[in-house]
Order: sequence, then structure tokens, then C-alpha cells
Amino acid sequence: MPCPAAPIDVATHRPAARRAGSRWLAWLLCAWVCSWAFGLGSAHAQTSVPAPQLTLSRAMAVAVPPNAEIDWSKARPVALPNEWTAQWPGASRMAAYRFGFNGHGDDGPLMGLYIERACSTLIVRLNGALVYQGGQMVEPVTRQCQQPQLVTLPAAMVRNGPNVLELIVRGHAPGEVASSLRAGGLSPVRLAAFDALAPEFKRRIALSIRLPEVISGTLVLMGGFMFLLGWFHRKQSYLAYFGALMIGWALLLSRLWLSDLPWSNLKTEIMLVWLLGFITLAGVQFLMRYAGRRLRALDIGLPLQCAVMALSLLAIDGSHLQTLAALWFVVLSLEMAAAAVFYLSQIRRKQRTQLWLMGPLLAVVGVALLTELLARQTQLDVRVGQVVQLVPALVLVILGLRLVQQYGRALQSAEAGRAELEIRIRDATTQIERNFAQLAELKVEQVTDRERKRIAGDLHDDLGAKLLTIVHTSESERISTLAREALEEMRLSVRGLTGKPVRLADALGDWRAEVVSRLAQAGVEADWTAPSDEDVPKTLSARAFVQTTRILREAVSNVIKHSGATHCTIRCTIAEGDFQLKVQDNGKGIPAELDGRLDKGHGMASMKGRAKQLQGQCLVESGPGYGTVIRLTLPLDRHVTTT
Amino acid sequence: MNNILLLEDLPEIRAWLKSLVAQVFPTATITECSRVQDALVQVASGVKFDLALLDLGLPDGSGTDVVAALRDTQPDAQSVIVTIHDDDEHLFPALQAGAYGYILKEQSRELITEQLTRISSGEPPLSPSIARKVIKYFASQGQPTANAMPAVSLTERESEVLLRVAKGYTLPEIGVQLGLSRHTIADYVKQIYRKLNVSSRAEAALEAQRLGLFRR
Repeated sequence: MPCPAAPIDVATHRPAARRAGSRWLAWLLCAWVCSWAFGLGSAHAQTSVPAPQLTLSRAMAVAVPPNAEIDWSKARPVALPNEWTAQWPGASRMAAYRFGFNGHGDDGPLMGLYIERACSTLIVRLNGALVYQGGQMVEPVTRQCQQPQLVTLPAAMVRNGPNVLELIVRGHAPGEVASSLRAGGLSPVRLAAFDALAPEFKRRIALSIRLPEVISGTLVLMGGFMFLLGWFHRKQSYLAYFGALMIGWALLLSRLWLSDLPWSNLKTEIMLVWLLGFITLAGVQFLMRYAGRRLRALDIGLPLQCAVMALSLLAIDGSHLQTLAALWFVVLSLEMAAAAVFYLSQIRRKQRTQLWLMGPLLAVVGVALLTELLARQTQLDVRVGQVVQLVPALVLVILGLRLVQQYGRALQSAEAGRAELEIRIRDATTQIERNFAQLAELKVEQVTDRERKRIAGDLHDDLGAKLLTIVHTSESERISTLAREALEEMRLSVRGLTGKPVRLADALGDWRAEVVSRLAQAGVEADWTAPSDEDVPKTLSARAFVQTTRILREAVSNVIKHSGATHCTIRCTIAEGDFQLKVQDNGKGIPAELDGRLDKGHGMASMKGRAKQLQGQCLVESGPGYGTVIRLTLPLDRHVTTT
Repeated sequence: MNNILLLEDLPEIRAWLKSLVAQVFPTATITECSRVQDALVQVASGVKFDLALLDLGLPDGSGTDVVAALRDTQPDAQSVIVTIHDDDEHLFPALQAGAYGYILKEQSRELITEQLTRISSGEPPLSPSIARKVIKYFASQGQPTANAMPAVSLTERESEVLLRVAKGYTLPEIGVQLGLSRHTIADYVKQIYRKLNVSSRAEAALEAQRLGLFRR
């Protein structure tokens, strides 16, 4: 099952960031612990402040039967704290305690009575008059076992001299509650100036009521959030279980601060025990799934266990609740421990980095639960009980933050991965498109090349052969010449078909060889000038090469055929991005009557037309007796590519 | 010139060429062929040819095959390509196979006569595009190869001649530029053709050996 893989992977991929996050969590934990210790420490400091006070740890106690007056004649001395047993105060579950003290009347400061623990609620009477009622004394009894009480003793009612203080406590026998922490009982009470007692009272309220309230709220909020997160991302189902675990624990914590419920104590206790079953379900499933395992047996077994629990709790006699609860508590704790051990062994093999956080956290929870188990059976310090109840909740908060952090990181990395993937896909698409275009181009090139060869072959074999026959069999010299020229044209056209660019330097070499040898054959002295190779680092398109060849050929033909020149100068230059060709002869020039009309015989029109096709121009200057100058100018940037 | 082989598929052109050759070499015996197979049979028949005028594009093959056959069996025979193709794509393989120059068929009778005379007297022509191709070929041969091939390389002078031809200078012009006689320049060109052939044959042999075609 791949569910926790994502956050774990992130953790291993980004050790630096993970360390930073862990450090942050560690600091948070540290801060919690410090504030806790400070709170406890200062509480102790406060109690040690000397004030005129009296700690009453002995009292006369008597069981109070239902609907009966208190019979003080049956009272016997007891030492406080007085923890109730199944026998005492018996079925009435109500006991009265009487103290005596010497008052100072109106002279002294306002007196207060501080009762650290009166489980589950109490009434205070001073000299027979009711001064305080903590809550409802009949079912549903107000639950104030965890809540200290501070009672004001009105100065007017405190006699100067002996006073009688009566505390009537309503509670439950140990068997009727799941934890002995909630069994009936009374701690020693302190009698002192109200101002001296108030700070500690506030602190104790904050610690045992407000803090659990806040933690409960936090757990519910975070738990709800994580539950939804896990619910909607089924691959992270461990988040949903963790959310359920947090909510379950928040409900469990509510026993510390929720005092008035609309149903009986027994129902509340049954629900609390059953809640442990639900928490175990969520906790075990969370650990299993977080470790990357999903067991069908657990998916069925744990809800079944919850159902069995509910049945067993409903079936049992109310007075044996604690025994049954202890039994279930052991069973559930063992299940949790097994799940924790399984989880730790799993991550120990997979990724050790996770161990450092989860190991200590689970150990803390284990110790806390063990302590709670002890507290259920024996009487421990109330403060220890409170700490024990809150520690797992704090661990849950820390773990929750850690999970959310992992989730966020996984989300971030997934987002980054997605973005990266998107980029890769785009790149790949571009590449594919480019390759396809290249392929298509190549294909076109291949087909073109093949076609060109076919056409060239056809032309040579068929047209070429016929023209050749005409060249060598025609009686007329003019027809032979025309056919020869046609053949040369054809060859040039075929060359133009290749479309392959020609290096300008190569073209100049070809032109020179042709022009010079033709002129030499005709007995015309040739003077060719061209830039050296280094100055022409360009290639000419096949079309420009072919057209320029034709123009040059025509110009040379004119010199040979018509000019009667003895000397011909050919200048090739490259200047200002233009290729210039000047063919100058010392012949008789173009006759006046032809000038301007550009006769066909001289091919001037075709030369100019070809130059125009290349976006260039071809100028002819001539005068009778002055020879002829043909200037061809081609804009190179349109016909060349820089090599 | 005693025996001349003439390979040309077009009857009119063949007749025309025959008359031209007969005019240049009046005493020679001219053997006419219209197909590559016939020419190869003639070459193998034992007749010693002094000169062979070979067309390239024939219905049953290329004159290049005949050039190669002549080069193998009758090294003294001069093969001259007579063709309508002036591009190096067609000519270069024939030159590599051992042809000593080429003549474009459509040229005037006088021009062809002159070129034929020159070739037979040891002055083969060389066009700029062929020169460029030869330069490129030897440049690529210059690459070190794993196999120990007898290195055939051009001399400095031969390279110089090639470079100048590539730039469009005619052979007489180059002679003047380098202060060399017309015959010396012609010798260089012949050497270039010979080396091209030798190098190509060595390359072909090597290639055949590489492909496992050689069995001894």
C-alpha cells in the first residue's frame, strides 16, 4: 500500500528541510514542556508563600442516606484525603465532613476555603448556613472531580471564635467509574485569606480546566481538518484515521472540563470507556497505514471490537465498571503497543530518519498510558494524573503538525513534479514536432532529390540525346549552335533543380574557367579580377547561381559574337552587401539603332529580366566605338547564406 | 594509335564520333559498341586497346564499368569519357575508376578534335568542380586510418595546381604563374588522375577487405 510513501519520500529527498522542520517541532515541544514546568513550579512557589492559613486534614465524616438529615452522632474521624470505597459511604454515595476552626469575626481578611478535590461535587455549609453549592447533587450529578473549588466564607457569617464547617460531597464508588481518578473522595481543604488562595485557584483552574479545553479545541479543529484531508485523499487514509484519533482524544479530554451532562454518570463512564475503543481503532489503523500496511483483518476486527465493547459495557452491572474498564484498557493498550512496535519495526527497515520523532513520541505516549493505568488502580498525585492525561494530547498535536507539514511538503513536491512534468512534456512535444518537421523536410528533400535525378536523367537521356543529335547532324551551323546552347541551358536548369547552394568562391572559379576559356577560344584577351577566397565567405542560392551564370554567359556570348572586341575585362566585386559584375569590352559597341530597344539577338532583355528576378539590376552602357559595359548588381543578402 | 574502342548508344552520335576519331587517328582500327556488355566482351577478348572513348549513361549500365575493366586488364589503355554530363556526380566515379579526362559531347567538332588530340598526347583536361572534388577527396584521405594503407598523397605542386584550377585558372595560365612548361603542368594533372585512381582502388580494396569480400 503506497499511502505514506509520498511524505516519506519527501523527507528523505530533502533532509535539510526535514531537519529544519524537526528542529521547529522540537522547539515547540520544548516550549510546551517549559511553560508546563514553570506553571507547576510557580504553583508550588505560590503555596509556599506564608499567609495566615489552615490546612484541615482531619475531619469528622458520616455517610448520608438518601433523603435523610445528616446524623452527626454517627460521625467518625477520618484523615484527608479521604478516598471512598465500595463500602463507604455506601449506596447513598453521599458523605458529610465536618471541620471546626477559630474565626476572627469581622476583623480578619475575607476568608476563603480552597478544596483541591471534591469528587464529584459538593455543598459547603458554614455554621449550618449554605454558603456554596458546586453543582447538582442528584443524577445527573455534576462532574467536578478534576476541578478545584474556591469558596468564599462571608465575613458576616464567620463567628469570632469556634466555627463549624460542613462539606457534603456527592460522588461515586470506585467500581462505578472507569478510573479511580473519578471515584468519590475529598482532599485536604485549606482555609486562608481569600486573596492568598485565589492565585493558586486560578492557576489550578487554568491547568486542569482551561488547558484541556484549549487542547480539546485544537484537537477537534486539527483532527477535523486532517480527517477531511484524509477522507478526500484516500491514498493518505492515515490522515483520516489520525484525524479521527485526534477527535476521539478531544472527546476523551472533555471529561476534564465538561461538568454538566444531561445523562447519568454511568452512561458517561460507559461512553468514555467505549471512546477508548474508538481511539484504539483510529490509532492502530493510523499506525498501520502510516507504516504503509493495510490489513483486512484490522479493517474488520477493530470495528467489531468496538461493537463487542459496547455490548459488554451495556451488559455489565454498573458496580463492576472499573474492573471491566481496566480489562479493556489493558487489551486496548496492548493493541496500541503492538501497533506501535509494528510501526517502529517497519520504519526502522524503511527509513530510519522517521524513527527519531516517532520513537520518542510513541514512548512518551506509552509511558503516559502506563502511568494512567497505574493511576486507575492506585492513588497518585492529582497533578501527575493531569499531566498524564494531557501528554498524549500534546503528542497528538505535535504529530498532527508533523503530518500536515509532511502532507504540505508532499503536495509541494507533487506540484513541483507536476510542473516539471509539464515542462518536460512541453519540451518533448516541441522536440517531437521539431523532429517531425525535420523528418518531413528530410523526406521532402529526399523525394525532391530523387525527382530531380529522375527529371535530370530523363532530360539528359531523351531531350539531351535529341539535342545532341541535332548539334552534330544539322547542316545549319546556326541550328547546331542553337541546339548546343539549348543543351547548355538544359544542363544549367538541371543544376538549378538541385537547389543546393553554391559557395560563391566555387561559383567564381567555375565562371572564370568558363569565361576565360571561351574568350580564349574566340581569340579575345580576357582580364578577370575577383576577390580572393577569404573575402567571399558566402554561399549563393542555386537559383542565383544559375541565373548569374546565364547572364554572364550571355554577356560573354555578346562579346564574342557581336562586339568584335580584342580585349575583355571582367570585374567581380563584393561591396556594401552587393555582388557586382562588370563585363567591359573594347569592341564596337551596340549600334545606335539598337540601343534602347535591346534586341533579342543581344539577349539584353533576358539579361535584364533575370537580374530583375534576383532583385538586382543589369545596366548596359554602350556607344558606337566605345565598347560595351554590362554591369550586374545583385543584393547578396537575398541570395546568400553566411557559411 | 592502333586500336580504339568507341562506346556510344546513339547511332548518329556514334557515327559522328567515329568519323571524328577516324579523322584524328587515320590509321587506327575503331571498334564500335552500343552496350556496356559488348564493350566488356571486347575488352576481355584480348584486343589491346590504346584508346577508349566511353559514354557514361548507357541502357545497360555505365561506361565507368568499362573504365575499371580496362584499368584492370589493360593498364596502358587510355580511357576517355565522352558524355553529355558535365557534373562531377557523374564524372568523378569514372575518373576514380581510372579515366584520363573527359569530353563533352555537344562541343564543336574542332573543339573535340583538339581535346582528343591533347588527351592522347598526355594533356588531360581538368575542370574547377572536378579539381575541388579531388582536393576534397584527398583531404578526407589524409585522415589517419586504423588500417595501414599505402599512403597516396599529393605533392605540394600538385596541390598547388589543383587549387589554382579550382579557382578557375586554365592550365596554360597556371603554367605561366608557376613558371612551368605546358608539359610539366600536364604531367601534374596526369599524376593527379593517376593518384586519384590508385588511391580510390586502394580504398576500394580496403573497403572490400573490411566487408570480407577478399578471400585468400
